[in-house]
Parts: sequence; C-alpha cells; structure tokens
Amino acid sequence: MDALLHFLPQVWFVILALFLFLYVMLDGFDLGVGILSLTSSDEERRSLLMTSLGNIWDANETWLVLMGGALFGAFPLAYGTILSALYIPIFMMIFGLIFRAVAFEFREHSDRKSLWNFAFGAGSFMAALGQGFALGSVIEGIAVDEAGHFIGSTWDWLDWRSLLVALTLIQGYVLIGSTYLILKTEGDLQKTHFRTAKLAAVTTFIGAILITIATPIVYEAARTRLFSPPLVYIFAVIPVLGVVLVWLLLRSLNREEENTPLIWTILIFLLTFIGLGLVVFPYIIPNQITIYQAAAAPSALVFMLTFIGVLIPIMLFYNIYNYIVFRGKVVGDGYGE
Amino acid sequence: MDLLSNTVALSRMQFALTAIFHMLWPVLTTGMAIYLVIVEGLWLKTRNPDYYRHARFWSKLYVLNFGVGVASGLPMEFQFGTNWAPFSEAVGDFFGSILGFEGAMAFMLEAGFLGIMLFGWGRVHPVIHYFATIMVAFGANLSTFWILVANSWLQSPSGGEMVNGKFIVSDYFQAIANPFMVRSVSHMFFATLETSLFVIGGISAWYILNNRHQAFFSQSLKIVLAAAIAVTPLQIYIGHLSAEQVAHYQPTKLAAMEAKWETSPAGQPADWSLLALPDESGQQNKWEITIPNGLGYILEFKRNLSEPVRGLKEWAPSDRPRMVGLIYYSFRIMSGIGFFLAGLMLWSVLQWLLGNLSPAKIGQQTRLLRTWIFAAPLGYIAVESGWIVRCVGRQPWTLYGQIRTADAASHLPASNVLTSLSLFAVIYSILFVSTLYFGSRIIRHGPNLELPIPGLDDQSAIETEPATFVPDQRPVEAQQ
Repeated sequence: MDALLHFLPQVWFVILALFLFLYVMLDGFDLGVGILSLTSSDEERRSLLMTSLGNIWDANETWLVLMGGALFGAFPLAYGTILSALYIPIFMMIFGLIFRAVAFEFREHSDRKSLWNFAFGAGSFMAALGQGFALGSVIEGIAVDEAGHFIGSTWDWLDWRSLLVALTLIQGYVLIGSTYLILKTEGDLQKTHFRTAKLAAVTTFIGAILITIATPIVYEAARTRLFSPPLVYIFAVIPVLGVVLVWLLLRSLNREEENTPLIWTILIFLLTFIGLGLVVFPYIIPNQITIYQAAAAPSALVFMLTFIGVLIPIMLFYNIYNYIVFRGKVVGDGYGE
Repeated sequence: MDLLSNTVALSRMQFALTAIFHMLWPVLTTGMAIYLVIVEGLWLKTRNPDYYRHARFWSKLYVLNFGVGVASGLPMEFQFGTNWAPFSEAVGDFFGSILGFEGAMAFMLEAGFLGIMLFGWGRVHPVIHYFATIMVAFGANLSTFWILVANSWLQSPSGGEMVNGKFIVSDYFQAIANPFMVRSVSHMFFATLETSLFVIGGISAWYILNNRHQAFFSQSLKIVLAAAIAVTPLQIYIGHLSAEQVAHYQPTKLAAMEAKWETSPAGQPADWSLLALPDESGQQNKWEITIPNGLGYILEFKRNLSEPVRGLKEWAPSDRPRMVGLIYYSFRIMSGIGFFLAGLMLWSVLQWLLGNLSPAKIGQQTRLLRTWIFAAPLGYIAVESGWIVRCVGRQPWTLYGQIRTADAASHLPASNVLTSLSLFAVIYSILFVSTLYFGSRIIRHGPNLELPIPGLDDQSAIETEPATFVPDQRPVEAQQ
C-alpha cells in the first residue's frame, strides 16, 4: 500500500510532465511562428505563416487545457497555490492566447489584415512571456507555508532569474518555430528560417547554459540533491548531450537539411524537460511541497489514471494522424474556404 | 466603493463575466456540429450537391464561433486555480478529475478532428471526412456532458462527504451520477440544440425573405423545423423536470425563482407569481400579479401541494440567495422563450402542412420569416438566463450546502482581480462586437454555390493508364 502511495503521485508527475512537454513542443512552434511573424517583412509572408498553422494550432493549444485539468485533478493543492501565486504571469499568458486565437479567425474575414496579424504576433509573444515567467518562478520556488498555501506577494514572480527563463523560452519557441517552417515552406521563405533558426539556436543555448549554471549556484537544496549519486551522473551527462545536440542542429542547418533540424530541436526540448524534471522532482511546489503532500487521494489518482491512461495513446494517435493528413509544404490556400 | 476592494465580489464578477461570455460560443458549436453531421450525411447518401454546399457554408460560421469559444474557454480552465484556490484544494479530487476528463475525452477529440473537418475535404476519403465531422460533434457534446456533470455535482453533491474542509470521495461513480446530473445534462443538451436550430433557421429565413438562394435555404429551414418539432416541447418538459429537482434539493433557489417569501403548507393550493417587484430588505414583494392556485399546477400538475413550498423568510439572509429579482425574472425570461419557440414551431408546422412553405409560396410568408429572424438570438438569452438562475440561485453556496462562496475565493489583492476583470470586460466587448461583425459579413456574402464538388468535378476518376495495344485480329474481309 505504501508503495502505491508513492507510485501514484510519481506516475502523475510523469504524465503532467508529458503533457507539458507536448504542449511546449507543439504550441511552441505555433507561438514561435507567431513571434517570427512580428519580424516578417510583408503581408503575404505573414499570411503564409498563419496558413501553415491553420489546422493544428487549436489541437496544440488543447494540451495546455489538458494539463490544467490534469494538474487540478491530480495535485489540487498545487493547482490552486501555483496559479493564484502566479496570478499576473498566468493572466498574461491567458490574454496572449486569447489574442492569438481570435486573430486566426478574424483575420480571414477582415479588411484590416495587418491589425489581426499584429494581434497574432503580439499575442504569441505575450503568451510566451507569461509562460516563461511562470515556468521560471516554479523552478525557482514559491513561498508557501507548511500547508502549501501561498504566503508571498504579488510581484514575487518578477526577478532576473524568471526573466532569464522567459527570454530563453521565447528563443526556444522561435527556434522550434523556425525549424517547423523549414519543414513546411520552400524557397525564400524557407531560406529566411534557416537563418532565424541558427540565431535562435545560439541564443537559446546561451540562455540554457546560464540557467543551468544559475540553478545549483543559487539553490542549496538543488546543489545537495543534484551533486550526489546517482543524480550527479545523470546531471553531468545532460549538459554534454545538450552540447552535442546543439552542434548536430547547427550542422543540419548549415547543410540546409529540411527534416532534421526539427528533430534535433525536439530532442533538445526533450532533454531540457528531463533536466528540469530532475531538478524539480519530488517537489511540485518547489521547494517546500512534494508531490506526495500535494496529491489528491489515491482513489482519485487511480480514478483519473484509468480513464486518462487509456486516452493518452488514443489522443496521440489522432493528433499524429492529423499531422499526417496535412503533411507537405504549405501552398497559399485560403484558411477556411 | 466597497465593491472595488472586495476580492470575493470581484472574483465572482469575473467568473460570471467570463462564464457568460464563454457560454455564448459552445452553445452554437455543439448544436451546429450535429447539424453538420446531418447535412454531410444527407450529402453522402443522396449526392445532392446542395447538401455539400450547406456543409461548407455553415462550417464558415462554425469555425468563427469555435475560435472565440476556444479563446474564451482557456480562462475557465485556469480560473478555478487563480481565483478559487481554496475551493480547488477542497474539491479537486473529484471536480478536477472531471475537468481533466472534459479536456482529454471531449475537447481534445473535437480539436483533433476539427482540422480534417474544415480543411480535409478532398485530402481524405469522404468516409474518413464524415468520421471526422462525427467526432467533432461527439467531442463537442461530450464536453457538454462532462461540464454539466461537474456543475451538477456542485448543485447536488454526492459520492462522499466533507471532512476537515476537504471533500473526501467514497464513490466516484455515485459522484458522477449525482441527483441533478441526468436532467441537467439533458436540459443543457437540448438547450444547445434548440439555440442552434433557431440560429440556423433565422439565418435561413433572412435569405429567403431577401430573395437570395431561396431554394437553398428552404432546405435548411425545413431541416431545423423538423428537428424543432421534437426538441421544443421536449425541452419544456425537461425544464419542468429540472425545476422539480430544484424544488426537492435546493429549496432556497426555488424560493428565489418564485420570489416567494412566505411558506405555503402542504395539502393546500397556493398562488403562482407571474410578475412581481421583490423588496429584499422588506422581505416581501412590493407588488405582484399572481395566478390564483397556480403553484400546484406549475410544480406538480395538480391543485394541492403535496409538500410545503418554503419561503425565503425561513432562512437567515446569509443562508439564502440575494438578487432575488434577477433570479426571478431570469427564470421567467428563460421559460417564456421556451414557450415562445414552441409556439413558433407550431405556427411554422401549420404553414408547412397548409403548403405555404413550398418553393412558390415560402417567399411570401413575411410575418413568419420575420419572426424566425427575431427568434434567432432568443436561444442565447434563454441559456444565459437559465445559467443565471442556476448559479446566482445557488448562492451563498459554491458547493451547495457544503462550501460557501465567501470561503472559496483565493486571498488576492483586490487590485489584481480588478485589473484582470477590467481587461476581460474591455477585451470581451471588443471580441463580441467583432464576432458579430464578421459573422454578419459571412452571412451577407452568402454561400459559394460555385464550389467544385469533390468526387464529381475533379478529374481524379478519369483513367490515366495507357491503353494496352491489341493487334487487330479480325479476318481480312471484315477490315474493308
């Protein structure tokens, strides 16, 4: 029974990490394309960028909704505390995503496309910024009492560490957005994104290094956990693998390969997630409340796991199918006709 | 002003605003998705190109509506955590799970297949496309199911009990099958269907009245009218069944719905209030128009009440809903619209039977068509009024009888909530106006009747293999 009490929260931690990873990867390129569109030179290019996302942005954003629901059901204490503590960055994200979503629909029918193109880009940027601050704050830690209730203040989330995470996340999105566009576009538009991908790869890498150095330096608790076996071996391997992957990515970009940049980028994201997971685990409200303390009753975890466990492969299946149906380069189709 | 520094009140207003705005959109996507399944099915069965064009036309409105629905739905998923953290912690085991199911089972299904439904024509086999449309409709309505399961549980909690401020679940399936669930899910399902029918009907009537594509839109008008024959009376009946449950499980809400201050004892008839002006501080109605002995008939279809109907004065003001007038009139508006739409259905069916909806005559039915156009927004008004009754009438409880709203809210600086509330008010106003504007543009532009029909107009069916050469084998004489 004790083993079960340990196992169930662990399983849900992994599932939540999976949902978060899928969201950051999939909506990552949506938001990345959005942020890139802000720098794009002309309307036609911007239109093409938006068209490349038309059929999938919605399903991609749904992983965020799913993650919210799963967090609510599996770790209700964490759901309440984290979201209310991070009130401002969460609403920053929400309003950004609202703008991004409606921009897609309204642009199609509007005479003032540039206005909605801007809403699409600015919304994407704002959402990424909010997400970055939220993610950075969670990694840093949230001030709570022993019962897990927030005892900090409204602006705790805003400091140089979370700003660093936010900027790195934005660069990460620009990177994955660029590699997605390399896959889906051709000609001049594709060439542009080889350039943006290279730049973003470098800036993301620098940001990631800074964050990796900063985390154990700043946090005593992280230091003790990460620098003792067995974690120290894994923790040492991750930066090495990271450097290798970034090198492979830059090489594939220089060779102007079409499919591999996205693959390397996804692997880099995956590696980052594993690293973050190791840093955070077993806390869910760092650095005070563990997953065991914040978890719903074991019966609730089993109840949810039964249904959602079955649904995960089904969801993955039809999401992949959706991508297969729309594989290939974006042609200048209208959205929605 | 006291209100501006009251976090609980501001969080309540924000939830009300975001919920009311969000509710506008899924109401149409759920019902219209079913309509799209019907039309695409008719297209596959009869190969009549008009059905294909209907599917393509109404999908345009669908996707506009869906986008705003998704955009406004996101805040709902997170708002329990941001503004109602103590509540989330207390009920997360069950309530959070159900919201997780809604996301995984319903919303993801809809979003996952929507791309194919909208953009997959010609890219996938027609049967697969139809499957996608069915999945979109199924996913959308499954969302209705799970959200109503969750809300019904708030109204009539079951499957466990409160222990030290947290709801401990003992039976998850009993919690899902809580007393309100079946009737509430049904009532909402038919509400979304009915609203969609009259929106489609109203838009169709507009085209017919304006002499545009009359034959085309007569088809859609007749489809929705046929469905309305079953839906409108059924919804009134299910509404009655829902009210029955409110009477039994939520007497405070019933008292507010009826602006009833004094208890009416069992075994006797009681008057039914038609119109009134409630005076909350005086705990009475300043004036009232009543139907003598009507309450028994409305509630139980008989003269004498079998159970007492309790009046608001039985409870302390802190234990019963406020804003009695709002609840009272919202209920009347909702029911009134239900009867009105049923009446419109009857009038239309009569005209249909008299042959006045034939292609030759339908354009002349100006009064009827105008009424359909007038009826188009009524479903929305009814749905919102109903939700106001349901949620405002549940106060002071968030979890009825167990958790008070005042205890459920996050402890946040009021200025935070005031800011987010104001932003929602401004942004949602812009979105509302824009959506109406763009929607009307789609309608004015009209359907594209030149759209090539997949499978008929494309060339993929033409044989492209080179013919095999077969030497002429006929006897020489026949070749002359």
